[in-house]
Amino acid sequence: MSASEMRRAKRHLETTRKMKDMLPRFFMRTLERRFSNEPLAWCMVGVPPELLKAFNLLWEWPENFGTICASRLVAPDFIKAAEGDGYSPELCTYVTNTMGYCKIWKDSGEPPEASPIPGGMGNPSMLLGSGFICEPRYKWFQAIATRYLDVPVYSSDPLAPPWDVDPHDPRIAAHYKDLLREDLQGQVEFLEQHTGKKLDLDLLREILALSHKALAYWRDTLYLRKAIPCPMGSTDYFSAIIPQMYMVGEEEAVDFYREIYHEVKDRVERKIGIVEEEKYRLIWFGLPPWFNLGFFNYLESLGAVVAIESTYNVGDWFEVDLDDPLEAIVERTWRRAVKMHEYGTEVMPELCNPAVFGGFAGSRMLEETVKEYSLDGAVMHLTRSCRAVSFGEVHTRNRLAELGVPSLIFESDMADPRLWSDAQIKTRVHAFIETMAGRSTAKG
Amino acid sequence: MKDMPVLARAAELNSQKEERVRELRRESGRPVIGYLCCFAPPEMISAAGAIPYRITGRPGEPTSEADAYMEPYGCSYVRNVFTQALKGRLDSLDGLVISHSCDLVQRLYGIWTYYRPLPYSRLFNVPHQVTPQAERFFMRELGFFKESLEQFTGQEVTGERLAEEIARANRSRALIRELYRLRQENPPLIRGSEMLELLLAGGWLPPEEFQKLLSDTLAGIKKRPAQEPPRPRVLVWGSLLDNTAFYRMIEEAGAHVAADDTCIGFRLFEKDIPPADDPIEALKNHYFINFQCPRTDRGPGRPRFDYLLERAREYNVDGVIGYIISFCDPHKFDYPDLRDYLKESGFPMLLIDDNYSFAPAGAIQTRLQAFIELLKSGGSFSAT
Repeated sequence: MSASEMRRAKRHLETTRKMKDMLPRFFMRTLERRFSNEPLAWCMVGVPPELLKAFNLLWEWPENFGTICASRLVAPDFIKAAEGDGYSPELCTYVTNTMGYCKIWKDSGEPPEASPIPGGMGNPSMLLGSGFICEPRYKWFQAIATRYLDVPVYSSDPLAPPWDVDPHDPRIAAHYKDLLREDLQGQVEFLEQHTGKKLDLDLLREILALSHKALAYWRDTLYLRKAIPCPMGSTDYFSAIIPQMYMVGEEEAVDFYREIYHEVKDRVERKIGIVEEEKYRLIWFGLPPWFNLGFFNYLESLGAVVAIESTYNVGDWFEVDLDDPLEAIVERTWRRAVKMHEYGTEVMPELCNPAVFGGFAGSRMLEETVKEYSLDGAVMHLTRSCRAVSFGEVHTRNRLAELGVPSLIFESDMADPRLWSDAQIKTRVHAFIETMAGRSTAKG
Repeated sequence: MKDMPVLARAAELNSQKEERVRELRRESGRPVIGYLCCFAPPEMISAAGAIPYRITGRPGEPTSEADAYMEPYGCSYVRNVFTQALKGRLDSLDGLVISHSCDLVQRLYGIWTYYRPLPYSRLFNVPHQVTPQAERFFMRELGFFKESLEQFTGQEVTGERLAEEIARANRSRALIRELYRLRQENPPLIRGSEMLELLLAGGWLPPEEFQKLLSDTLAGIKKRPAQEPPRPRVLVWGSLLDNTAFYRMIEEAGAHVAADDTCIGFRLFEKDIPPADDPIEALKNHYFINFQCPRTDRGPGRPRFDYLLERAREYNVDGVIGYIISFCDPHKFDYPDLRDYLKESGFPMLLIDDNYSFAPAGAIQTRLQAFIELLKSGGSFSAT
């Protein structure tokens, strides 16, 4: 593999291109606060960002940091440092990226020079985990706090009902919601203890209202991608989730999602697609190869457009009563889990995500998705180091085959470019395109 | 050490267990419920009138049948077990209980029950942390498990019946502990591979028959002649070992497996389930609070490994051999901290990372021998 095979993404929307100005402004604001040693939490996706905002905390997402390190091709340096410390190459590369980062930092006493963000992730005063999607997320912060950083940890432990249990049974609902509620309460108590502040419920309510407003624009934007030609592709999609992660509950974030909605709507009305001739419409499963988002542009160069992705999706579950804001978080989490359950969770059962954003692989929803998004095929990224998201793709492929939709499953990783085999993957993409071409000829 | 007929009997029984369980099912008229991992208590299955059957894999067998349903990147044990189901070797099961012990086992449940549905199936959900809310959840989950079994078998699980089953299982535990104490001797009076063979029989034999096997072994050991010369003593830590092959490799490489910390081992039998007013509470304490699997996050800090250190000292071991099945995240996360902690405490550690095949045997054997040589150089052992 050579670095030249990795391509940065070309975005198609004006709004996402503007993030280049918006995000650095935001990060500069937080940098000033970091220098004054305000409490900083490292958080896992799944921690409700609205809660962090309500405590006026500074926060960083090591997983997102992993995506940035991947995109700048520095992740292997950190991953190798973790491997040298005894962490297996099979472990999640978001995790090993962070572990290596911590190790270099601990050994040198300085944030690693290779960090793609000035000052790195900052010096955390607490770790807030969430195990909603996989078990590495329980072990990750346990290991960091044991080995590298002596700071307090709260790991959230939301569980979801298995696929063959009825979540509409009131006893089952109470069983799971009680755990969610008590877990959230534990998180609040932890934050109160370590920030020295009481949770301001009125402020949390306001933040939730703004957050949900932004999510509603985002959801409506995603629905617009049903249009032919598809007005927005994956390079914009995977970039546009960032404001909701960092700038949640801010007017600027709402403005961003409003703007993206109007831009995409305008493109639909004017029938502007992202490629000149849209030949194939795809669904993408799994995490993207962050070090090579240009891969999506490569697909586009072959006339193949991704109209929907299985990860970082958002539905209607945030449309909840905000009167009791903590209960609103419980309710939106549970509604999401129930909806996913209805869609079929036989291989993707961990769906009680208090932060709303998250993946789905519901086998029963495939039929409506294929119709609504006029899909010709599925591309599935089998990520070696993230079995939680990719295990189940074979089953999904089987279900799609029943619907007459072909799938391509290819192997690589989300953060470690050493696992990308460009020639092999492109050969398989070409064969897959030929399969789809043959089918469309047969269909006439 | 001379082989004992009773241990040969255990090995023979285990080799025929699928047929024997079919017979037991036919003779007793009771349904057989297969289970993986230890969080869903087998005592509950027995109390509902069913026969609990601990499912095991067949290490090293090809798992290509599983390719049509699951990814190549995944626990090779999970793939192996599902291959057994696809080959029809588990057709005598009336039911299946899989606890949410780890991600891949949980995924296995969905795939298995989707493609090969059984008359009874249950995923036993398990929190990952020991908090008051997690304990309450586990208690409720035990209640749902009990109800579902009652509905399936038609037999009510009364408190008395459950207490009886716990007492029966405790009788086995007491005998097992007695045998483990003989491993504290130097050299141990029973080999690690022999002990595991016995424990594997406990995964499916009726308790009384199992207890007879254990008692006969205890009696036989007293008559067992010929002490082996002292050799390095090791403790084996790691993920599931449901086959004696690995212990035999260690023994052939020149060490005694004196103690263990694996799923089918002391983790399960170290303590009795204490008699309690509420047997459900007792099951929760035993199978959730006290069961030391790395999948349960007990918070940061190395004291979480103190139980292992105590065991290493109690069994006077010279080193620790880790065995981790590929892609087993919980064990792999704990390894660097455990390795360092053990080292600082005077116990060298060797890690064997394996795809549930114990192959290539030559390469593993070489590493084991090198490690055992290292242990010898650190201690006073006569040549073997």
